[in-house]
Amino acid sequence: MLNGIFRKIIGKGGDSSKDVAKKRLKFALVYDRLDVSDDVLEDLQRDIVEVISRYFEIDKDGLSLDIRESGDLSALVLNTPILSKRRDTS
Amino acid sequence: MKGKIVVITSGKGGVGKTTATASIGSALALEGNRVLLVDMDIGLRNLDVVMGLENRIVFNIVDIVKGKCKIGQAAIKDRRIDNLFLIPASQSDNKDVITPEEMIRLAEKLREEFDFILMDCPAGIEKGFENAVVAADEAVVICAPEVSSIRDADRIIGLLFSKSITPKLVVNRIVPEMVERGDMLSHEDVVDVLSIDLIGLVEMDDQVVVSANMGTPPVLQKNSKAGGAFRRIAMRLNGNEDLPLVVPQVPNRFWKKLGRKIGLGK
Repeated sequence: MLNGIFRKIIGKGGDSSKDVAKKRLKFALVYDRLDVSDDVLEDLQRDIVEVISRYFEIDKDGLSLDIRESGDLSALVLNTPILSKRRDTS
Repeated sequence: MKGKIVVITSGKGGVGKTTATASIGSALALEGNRVLLVDMDIGLRNLDVVMGLENRIVFNIVDIVKGKCKIGQAAIKDRRIDNLFLIPASQSDNKDVITPEEMIRLAEKLREEFDFILMDCPAGIEKGFENAVVAADEAVVICAPEVSSIRDADRIIGLLFSKSITPKLVVNRIVPEMVERGDMLSHEDVVDVLSIDLIGLVEMDDQVVVSANMGTPPVLQKNSKAGGAFRRIAMRLNGNEDLPLVVPQVPNRFWKKLGRKIGLGK
């Protein structure tokens, strides 16, 4: 209760530990529910890199592939630094 | 008589499945039902000690399934509560010794003799889970308000849905003080994440440890908060579905009262 009063006075402050727990849980469950294994993600990443590499020079080490939850949907998010356009595609 | 088979499960171990099975079963029997508790944790039996019936074991579930004895010979009758029976797990076999087909056959016979058959499911999602769930009509998922328990519960809920069972959720070991200061997920948070219907909220209760020490189910202990919660869960299972949920509350203390007076807090 005292804690509650302090919080009211000081303002909300950062997330409480249960908010952190809930966020982490929701994220973990997105992966669990899609039932995507690390192997599948790795294969997917390899194939995507292969396709993109036909058109762009990319930094393969800087590439990240994530599944994120936005609202009710799960989104596949790919982030990759592009070094340059391949000449032969012009 | 056509009884109902209810599996009590959680995925993760140590969240209170066995205590819940013992308590809900005892409460159902106190309400006048003929109740059988079945320990499905073959190789790691525990329901017998929680019920205080460990000294009276002669036969076990494996003996019944393999035809070494009759159901009536293996089912231990509780002497404190009328119409309450326990079939213990075998301690020497492993989980693969029983097949799902054998469980389905056994379940048919059990439904003839009891109103409620509560299966105490082992932790995990392997053969033991399969056997406990294969003949179930209903399922109760026990979950503590912590990340690992909720994650495993989600997996179990998915598996139950794939077997066309819609489970009900018990949030166990709620510490209202921690929920209030934002250090424990509330039951609303848990339901938000798992999206299934609640059948009960159980507060963390030291009496549960005392009960287990003594081998008496918490529902027989007077003034046990957990005991009361399990009794209400039993009533809901027994057809009283509209019984309102009781949310564990922080006891009214001086500061809380003062806080309210000066317009802080709820």
